Amino acid sequence: MSKDQSASFMIRFTQKIYESEEGSPNVQWRGKISHVQSGDNQGFVEFDRAVDFMQEHLGNVTQSTIEDKTKKEQEGILSKSFDMLKKFKDQAPTFVMDTIKDPMGQVENIQGQIKEQIKDVSDDLSQKLDVDHLRMASKSDYKEVLSMIKAMSKQIEKLTDKVDKLDKSKK
Amino acid sequence: MSIDHNLEDIKRSKQEASLVIETLGGFHVFVNGREISSKEWGRDKTVQLIQFLVTARHRRGLHKEQIIDRLWEDSTVDEGMRDLKVALHGINKALEPNRKPREEAKYIIRQGVTYQLSEKDVWIDAEAFDQALALESLNINENPEKSKQILRYATELYKGSYLPNRAFDDWTATERERLQLLAINAMISLGESTLQSNPTESIRLAQEALIIDPTWEEAYRLQMTAYALKKNRPQVIKTYQICSKVLDEEFGIDPLPETKRIYDQVMGI
Repeated sequence: MSKDQSASFMIRFTQKIYESEEGSPNVQWRGKISHVQSGDNQGFVEFDRAVDFMQEHLGNVTQSTIEDKTKKEQEGILSKSFDMLKKFKDQAPTFVMDTIKDPMGQVENIQGQIKEQIKDVSDDLSQKLDVDHLRMASKSDYKEVLSMIKAMSKQIEKLTDKVDKLDKSKK
Repeated sequence: MSIDHNLEDIKRSKQEASLVIETLGGFHVFVNGREISSKEWGRDKTVQLIQFLVTARHRRGLHKEQIIDRLWEDSTVDEGMRDLKVALHGINKALEPNRKPREEAKYIIRQGVTYQLSEKDVWIDAEAFDQALALESLNINENPEKSKQILRYATELYKGSYLPNRAFDDWTATERERLQLLAINAMISLGESTLQSNPTESIRLAQEALIIDPTWEEAYRLQMTAYALKKNRPQVIKTYQICSKVLDEEFGIDPLPETKRIYDQVMGI
């Protein structure tokens, strides 16, 4: 079996907020991607360039591990590897570029998703706990609940005493 | 607690520690002031293991399997366990050559199946660098002069990239990147604060930042402003030209308008 091969990448984004020559506020994202194992690096402002960089290094990883295979096997592996890289190239930049172009929008999207999740959980709990009924509770309801809790506490104290006495008598 | 006291605490902790580990710009370990030689370390894996424990110092104990996965990824479990044991023995032997058999190790703490580097009696330059910058961020607005002193101390600690001999090992990459960015920002902040009093110092700091990252436009701006204060027009122009060339080659973009404004001012445009 061939040895597992890894490629690690470090990506740094630097945000530049500046006023254009016309005086309007602007934002620019500069990126730097490094391939850790070789020390190669590449600057970019378009994420496609970073993906190309990754694709090149990942292709090299595949190439280096199949040199002992037959030509036909090599072609098969390379073709599958390139399929994966193509999917990556087609899809990866979208999320990153959306974030870069509209960071607030992306944050809102994520917040929306979280709210949706919370709402689902909350709806589920409401059905189980009948939250609406609790919301309608009046002051007198609270007093009643409080007095019931106090009565229960006293009962628990009495029971605890009894259990303690039983324990002692056993010893 | 005063700022002085805190900065002095950070400085003094190096004097008081019996184990001093330098990771920035090179790897050096001193026990009671004496440097451990490469012969004393023995195998490279012994050095790698202590560097790995230094890098993971905030993780409060690493399971032995986590260590084996990263440092002996091609070994079987049994081989990994054996190699880890050998490397641990190598570290303990190098750091505590006079430790008695069965006596607990002072610096490498073992708790069941986890290992970590002790915090007691140990000084690490990267940790002191972090502490100094944390202290500076707390005091930046209260006392600019003290803030400058702390930044100066931090930039002196940063002698180069983190564990440079492990630049191609991915377990060092995150820490190296994190420290690099902190160092660049510290150099720029200090350079900006010394502009009026000592523009030559600002130029030196900008150049240090550019050694770490030659595309850091803020460093070019700092350098241009400092040269302008020194009335050195040719150097302002030259710095701007280098900045434009580097940004064009690396990103295919022009300098930002605020960089161009400094150039235009000097050119009298």
